Amino acid sequence: MKRILIVDDAATVRLFHRAILESAGYAVDEAVNGIEALEKALQSTFDLYLVDVNMPKLDGYGFLRELRGSELPQAPAIMISTEAGARDEQLAYAAGANAYLVKPTRPERLLLLVRMLIGEVPA
Amino acid sequence: MAFIKKSPGSETLAHEERRFARDCAGLALELESADASERRWAARDLADCPDASALLLSRLQREDDASVRELILSTLTRLGDEVAVLGLVNCLRSENAALRNEAIECMKQLPDEVAPIMQCLLADADADVRIFAVNVLESLCHPEVESWLIQVIESDAQVNVCATAVDLLGEVGSAAARDALLRLKARFADEPYMQFATDLALKRLAAN
Repeated sequence: MKRILIVDDAATVRLFHRAILESAGYAVDEAVNGIEALEKALQSTFDLYLVDVNMPKLDGYGFLRELRGSELPQAPAIMISTEAGARDEQLAYAAGANAYLVKPTRPERLLLLVRMLIGEVPA
Repeated sequence: MAFIKKSPGSETLAHEERRFARDCAGLALELESADASERRWAARDLADCPDASALLLSRLQREDDASVRELILSTLTRLGDEVAVLGLVNCLRSENAALRNEAIECMKQLPDEVAPIMQCLLADADADVRIFAVNVLESLCHPEVESWLIQVIESDAQVNVCATAVDLLGEVGSAAARDALLRLKARFADEPYMQFATDLALKRLAAN
């Protein structure tokens, strides 16, 4: 079973994404900020990261920069943000994201991206 | 892998020699030093100087060292004057996500100082600033928090602002929020996340 780490400080958002991903057959773990996500990435291997931008302690950009610059196992990352601007999207890709989604999440859009990035459907 | 943040080193400070005078002019110069340990000294000791908030806010915009930033923010929170609060509000408009989050965390610690400007922040033209204002409410111990959140979900047209407010209402709301949540659910009937979040908030309110 493919494993996905949800990184978001908003509990309701984590619950929503967990429900979508688990109903599609993925195993899900959660972290509430970038520091906790890095700790989880040290302990486990994930097939995909679903990362919010704005979080306390270490934000999504910071988390991805640390992850990409580390020797931790790498996996695709979807960055999720309330910000729809082109600059925000550029920042996400520069930090190491593979895709960018604007909140609120549409379940079918999220699942399509996840399947593409994990390699279950052609990109 | 160096991803665990170092905390600002108070022990280190105690052993560092000081090159600058300890008066306000000296501290202002020290805050611009190339040496991070000297900037830490200045960020801590400037609190008693006039214009301290303005100097600290100016440095904060350019400061890369995490330990200096932490001390600047700690001193700004301790000062809590009008300049500090308005400076923190300006940080909410920054493109630097870390700076925005740091400002939010500081503002949460200044309920009495932030409360008078909360209505303005919740009515800001920039939806992101309104979202950050709701984030500030998360830990702002103030009696108006619930009514501000109800006002947001009743009046804000932007779905993500309302979504952020709903998350919080589920945690801090009371029965007074129920009707507003039901109206919000109807207003965003085609948004799956909003349906999920309002249902969850209503369930939590019913359980309280």
